[in-house]
Amino acid sequence: MQPKLKSKVRAADREIGEVTRVIMDPLSREVSHIVVSMNGSGERQVAMAHVQSVSDHLVELRSAASEILALPAFKREDFVTTHEVEIAHLEENIHVTPGEVLVPFPELEKSVKRRTFFMNFTHAIGFLIGLPIAYPVLRYLMKPMYQPFDNSWLKIGNVGKIKQEDIGVQFKYKKKVKEAYMPEAEIEKNVWILKATPAVLEKVYQGKDMEFRDATGMSVWVNKKEVPYIAFSGKCPHLGCGYKWRQHKLLGQVFLCPCHLSIYDAAGKVLDGPAPRPLDALPIKVSASGDVQIVDMEFKAGTKAQIRIV
Amino acid sequence: MTDQETTSPVKLALKLLWFTFWTGFPIKLAFALLFLAMGIINFEARIGLGFLMVLASPVTVFALPILMMGLDSHIGEGVGIGLLFLLCIPIDIWAYGVVARTYFLDRLRLEPPDGIGLSLWIKTAIIGALYLPILWLVVGFTTETGISTAHSLFETEMLKWVPIAERIGIELTLWGTVSTAVLLVMLLIGLSIIGRVIRSATTGAQPAQENYQRRVMRWDLMRVPADQGLMLTAFAGTGVVLSLLFWSALPVTTPHPHECCKKPEVKAQPPYKPLDALNKDEKLITQLTAQLDELEKKKAEEGTQGKNKGKGKAGKAAEAKADSKATAQPAPKKP
Amino acid sequence: MQESSSTSTQPTALEKVIAFVDERVGLKTLQAKMLNEPVPGGSRWAYIFGSILLFIFIMQAVTGIFLMFYYVPTADHAYASTQYIIHDVDYGWFLLSYHFWGSTAMVVCVFAHMSQVFLWGAYKKPRELIWLVGLALFGLVMGFGFTGYLLPWDQRAYWATTVGVEIMDKTPVVGDFMARFLKGGPTPGQMTLSRFFVIHVMILPAALMGLAGLHIFLFRKAGPAGPFRGSVEELKVKSDYFFPRQVWKDIVGMVTVFLSICAMAFWEPVVLLEEATPDPGDYHPEPEWYFLFLFQMLRLKIFAGEFGQFLGAVALPGAFMALLAALPFIDRDPERNIFKRPIALIGWIVVMATILIFTVSAIINREFLD
Repeated sequence: MQPKLKSKVRAADREIGEVTRVIMDPLSREVSHIVVSMNGSGERQVAMAHVQSVSDHLVELRSAASEILALPAFKREDFVTTHEVEIAHLEENIHVTPGEVLVPFPELEKSVKRRTFFMNFTHAIGFLIGLPIAYPVLRYLMKPMYQPFDNSWLKIGNVGKIKQEDIGVQFKYKKKVKEAYMPEAEIEKNVWILKATPAVLEKVYQGKDMEFRDATGMSVWVNKKEVPYIAFSGKCPHLGCGYKWRQHKLLGQVFLCPCHLSIYDAAGKVLDGPAPRPLDALPIKVSASGDVQIVDMEFKAGTKAQIRIV
Repeated sequence: MTDQETTSPVKLALKLLWFTFWTGFPIKLAFALLFLAMGIINFEARIGLGFLMVLASPVTVFALPILMMGLDSHIGEGVGIGLLFLLCIPIDIWAYGVVARTYFLDRLRLEPPDGIGLSLWIKTAIIGALYLPILWLVVGFTTETGISTAHSLFETEMLKWVPIAERIGIELTLWGTVSTAVLLVMLLIGLSIIGRVIRSATTGAQPAQENYQRRVMRWDLMRVPADQGLMLTAFAGTGVVLSLLFWSALPVTTPHPHECCKKPEVKAQPPYKPLDALNKDEKLITQLTAQLDELEKKKAEEGTQGKNKGKGKAGKAAEAKADSKATAQPAPKKP
Repeated sequence: MQESSSTSTQPTALEKVIAFVDERVGLKTLQAKMLNEPVPGGSRWAYIFGSILLFIFIMQAVTGIFLMFYYVPTADHAYASTQYIIHDVDYGWFLLSYHFWGSTAMVVCVFAHMSQVFLWGAYKKPRELIWLVGLALFGLVMGFGFTGYLLPWDQRAYWATTVGVEIMDKTPVVGDFMARFLKGGPTPGQMTLSRFFVIHVMILPAALMGLAGLHIFLFRKAGPAGPFRGSVEELKVKSDYFFPRQVWKDIVGMVTVFLSICAMAFWEPVVLLEEATPDPGDYHPEPEWYFLFLFQMLRLKIFAGEFGQFLGAVALPGAFMALLAALPFIDRDPERNIFKRPIALIGWIVVMATILIFTVSAIINREFLD
């Protein structure tokens, strides 16, 4: 029940005044009491339990006037107004304003067609402010994302330092890179090369020469399956960490990646761990004097398919 | 407003200890920070445990030294740890007082007796000193046994094949659950003992007469000091003093420098002592003049021998002598 | 407040200024409305975590701005400028260590805050939107930690980021694009550093401020949920206002967090490894501690292989976040007492225990990496 301010209050026997204030319980957000003016003999705080009915301008109480008069006096200092305290969800629960306050509605705004047209036109213009910028911004942000590949041969050392067959030997080399505006830098990279016995060669090549193509499908290089040297990219195909050649307690001499414990045999096949594909072989050229050249390629990590990215 | 006289001892102890710990914690932390800045505390590996134990006094305040000495578990070095413990004593007694009074009024409807903070502190500190080493031993033993059992379980033929990551996870879950359960049980027993002690402290107390609203107002207003100006000034003043100490103690550059940027070792010059230097020099000069005289004597002897051979030579020798004497004379006068 | 004086009836200069502003701004009413928010059942220590998070964010922004006075976000200067801050700038080591440990404190308090809201059932009607915005904020905080970690450009930073971005690459369809976008190319380099820097110091802070503002606005609109048990009389007797009681509790919480972060800065000041190189060498990459549980989970055999990695790194966490987002719409029971919501309680314990076990496992696993 929502008694209106200023509505008359009538006890069971006679009229006793009007509603001067309404008191709300902040926890339940219901009207808990009304304050009745008592026609000058001191405001009384009347609980809603006493109220029998509420109409638009009249509140009827079920108790007699004398009972109401006997109630304790209303103490203003025990309360604060809803202007001084924020009560959540107040407007949904309480409607005690004495009527509405109105202001005139401009003639021009009465046309609905006018309003909708200008609203839609504003939306269109706003959209068109953004649109021309969208495409250049996308290209702007995407500029460095897809790079052409560098297929040049790099000299990385001599196979003379490989003493045994089927043993992984790390070749460290420096590669010159120029990234955007940065000064040309030399980064250190490494590959693992092994001198393979025919058994291991067979496992790697599986009877076919290894062909490397570029993005258009043109052949860049072919690793002949008879060449006994294999170069594996130094990055683990799982997530790109650098792996090592180690002695494993159960599997013997293997390539082992410390990040997630992917294990590969001398032919690069996955023995254990989360690696999705075998080690990536690179184009390799070995001259008569034993000088090794490779094309430095990098492949996307974590995929079953071998996808070149650098 | 429920009748709290039938609260279990465990809940009672938990409530009081929890709130007392957190009431004192920020103050202890401020001092701990100052000591860290001054470099008089160095916590070792088990930082979390150590720190909590130091600050979880009152229960640990006597227990921790016993543990460190008797059971050989080292939490750190530095005179600051001892200082921190000493500081914890008045802080805990005060915190206990505040929390106990609040609880008595709010839940137990009793008048808090005088000196409740101190009496509670003494009792719980002693209980802690006796009980915590037992708890430490029991939980430690359970954990060690649990870890080794879990390890050996995975060494068996049946389970050797389990890969590393899974093995670690399962082992940890196994012994972790057991250790946690044992720890919880030991804690519950300890709390129940403390709870009974607290409950015995309540038996003598008078019932509080006022209604709930008034009792809540009492403990609420208990926190507002009688002389606000004095308290706030003292508090702010202490804070300023501690900050000044902190500023002067804070190391300007990192206490853990990297290999790349170690500051060069500057060897201090030995202090210059003027009197000693003068004495040393004088001695040197007299020594040198004596040597020179001897050399001249020798030359003179050779010269007299050489006189027979030719005057020119002697003349030259004499001139040379005279020259050398002349040069020798001014030299000692120089310094 | 009564400022009655028997000797003068003229308002003081200060009072006149306040009255001037108040007449134009409605200052007194605004202040009253902002501060006098009733907290049903009274202010509680359990509610402090939201304000603490705001405090930590402000401290991170402030210390971050100070760091930017000396830090240079290029691959050839990032490491050196960070070392300069640590070794040569007066108290630079302390500011950087504060910023670093502040991020840990942020994650800890985010977990505490989310747990508190969950356990108190304060995500239920009418607070569903606050919860959703909160989940977005959680994502932002994780993003902050991830992007900030790269900036010192030492081995740890470089490799943790490389591994993290490669994991994101596993997302089907958009994974490759997203990873290249973040890396600014096929491999990590200068472009990556520039992008992470912009994201860390401009994009994420702007997003956080906007969403945090929305979060607080929605919270005030809905009102605090209050405790989940207690008689009506107890709640009424203990009701007080946001100011000063809850603010007081919030400030004590802030001080405690502040002192704790300073203490951590002393115990473990930031120490960099060697400068980043494309070859990890002897270094075993590891993310920040709050990602360790995911890192360890990905080591399990069930998540091996390309699809397995996607499942463990993207699908499963994504599904869990989706579950959290759907929570207010699935759980319609208005009961908020956690002890009467067994599924919720057990679920929370299981999730927290799982995260703890995996985190500790990751730490133990370090011994087995050679």
